[in-house]
Amino acid sequence: MRNAVINEIYKLMKNDERIYFLTGDLGFHVLEKIEKDFSKRFINVGIAEQNMIGIAAGLALSGKKVYVYSIIPFVTMRCFEQIRDDLCYHDLDVTIIGVGSGLSYGILSGTHFALEDIAILRSLPNMTIFSPADEIEASQGIRAFNNYAHPIYMRIGKSIEPQIYKDSYEFRIGKSVVLKKGKDIVIFTTGSISHEVLKSAHLLKIQNNIDVMVINIHTIKPLEIKRIKEFIKDKKIIVSVEEHGLIGGLGSIILEIFSDNYINRNILRIGTKDHFIKEIGTQAYLRKILHLDANGIYDQIINYLHNEK
Amino acid sequence: MQSFTQKIRLKVSRLRQLIVESLLPRESHHIGCSLSILDIVTVLYYSILRTNPKKPSDPDRDIFILSKGHGALAVYAVLYEKGFFSKDILMSYDRDGGKLPEHITHNISGVEVSTGSLGHGLPIGSGFALSFKNDRKDNKVYVLMSDGELNEGSNWESIMFAAHHKLSNLIAIIDLNGYQGYSTTEKVLDLSPLSEKFQSFGWNVHTVDGHNYEDMRLLFQKIQSETNTKPNVVIARTVKGKGIPFFEGKFESHYLSIDEETKKTILTQLQRN
Repeated sequence: MRNAVINEIYKLMKNDERIYFLTGDLGFHVLEKIEKDFSKRFINVGIAEQNMIGIAAGLALSGKKVYVYSIIPFVTMRCFEQIRDDLCYHDLDVTIIGVGSGLSYGILSGTHFALEDIAILRSLPNMTIFSPADEIEASQGIRAFNNYAHPIYMRIGKSIEPQIYKDSYEFRIGKSVVLKKGKDIVIFTTGSISHEVLKSAHLLKIQNNIDVMVINIHTIKPLEIKRIKEFIKDKKIIVSVEEHGLIGGLGSIILEIFSDNYINRNILRIGTKDHFIKEIGTQAYLRKILHLDANGIYDQIINYLHNEK
Repeated sequence: MQSFTQKIRLKVSRLRQLIVESLLPRESHHIGCSLSILDIVTVLYYSILRTNPKKPSDPDRDIFILSKGHGALAVYAVLYEKGFFSKDILMSYDRDGGKLPEHITHNISGVEVSTGSLGHGLPIGSGFALSFKNDRKDNKVYVLMSDGELNEGSNWESIMFAAHHKLSNLIAIIDLNGYQGYSTTEKVLDLSPLSEKFQSFGWNVHTVDGHNYEDMRLLFQKIQSETNTKPNVVIARTVKGKGIPFFEGKFESHYLSIDEETKKTILTQLQRN
């Protein structure tokens, strides 16, 4: 996903001299093309994320469009106040590219995980959150957001994630996508874990004859509420799956929508629990032991259905 | 003919009255913090900065960022006096439903950046300076900071960055009044030797009496004609609460608010001078 995003930004930079790309000393072997061809507009600010966001704000205030790039905790949590005051308060044309959604960094472990980022960033007024499922969606989003001119947090995976879409589709900011139709239950999901969700939907069908609708919410904020209401109609259960903590993420967002719209429904929220991940392993391993892989998601849904009875 | 010093003295005297007039009795504080920078801000706006109240977003303007956002009242008073907004806006300072909060806001004509949390102005100023430099534009960027503010690490990230990228169009001004939240800067987290710190980080370092109008003007003019590629810092020695005996030199003037009676007394004294 990362390379697709960089390639897309490269194309935009080629046609628009207003675009700057800042990195916090990360992106080795990924960003060289931008560095080489747009040396003045590629700035490695060093390992200094607070300054990086401030510089992005100054550039944007002087009429530039800016991308900033780093690993998610460094480019969101380290400099959260700069994001709030400098970018969101001033409503600036700056896109934060955060690499390493959820457990992407695997063996690099706890400090590199991104399991609270959606919760904290969606609390900011003027902030838009874009969480693509694969590189096709990521590329389409970069193009669609090009003239958006507000702060965006783009949450992407680390390297090569499985492809969800076969081809380009009609991408619209805020419009969730039906990845799979189904009449029995609906699963809302976001990001690269959509792949596991689709597999779990397949398992539910072949093993239990449960027909699952899968909805990919690529724009977590702002979100089209009307469509959510349509998707839950006549569904036996509603599920949210995210590679993020259960506090404040996608599941919380949908619960808030229900509460604000007098929708009296429960949700099975699947994500990471309120504790740090002590286990060590790759993303695939961690998803498995945390019951966030296809089988784990399948088991959690089956247990929930069982308990409901 | 009026000398520059006489002209600015008169202007500052009027601005002090406006500042006191706009205070909300028993509520407004940070009065000493605004008074310590009033002379600097006045000299900048009346002899150095290219600004246009009729065209506040003029692409050829110089950028002024008040990084110590709690000194906003000094800037508001100057902007009003320059014609950026009307007097009723200035007099809405700190009032319920007003336009001007105690920390500087960009939601008013003439203010580029909202601050209030310390350590934000210099990074943003560096972004502006980088943009102008790359575009080969001669706009200058002035960032007025407090001395206590230099405790914030984000400034030092920026100080390294500005020197590395040769942002000679960036001018940081340190309001060296010697006080911060709890006590003197020396007692809380000693900044000295400040000049040497900036020098070793690759900046041109200038020191000046932050209440001497002519010296400041000459220094800022000299900096504008500087030919080397280093960013510039002006360490301006100031007195907290300068110009109003009730506040002058007093640490408490950071927090102190005044009642209606004291406000009247101070205004009468200022009008007499």
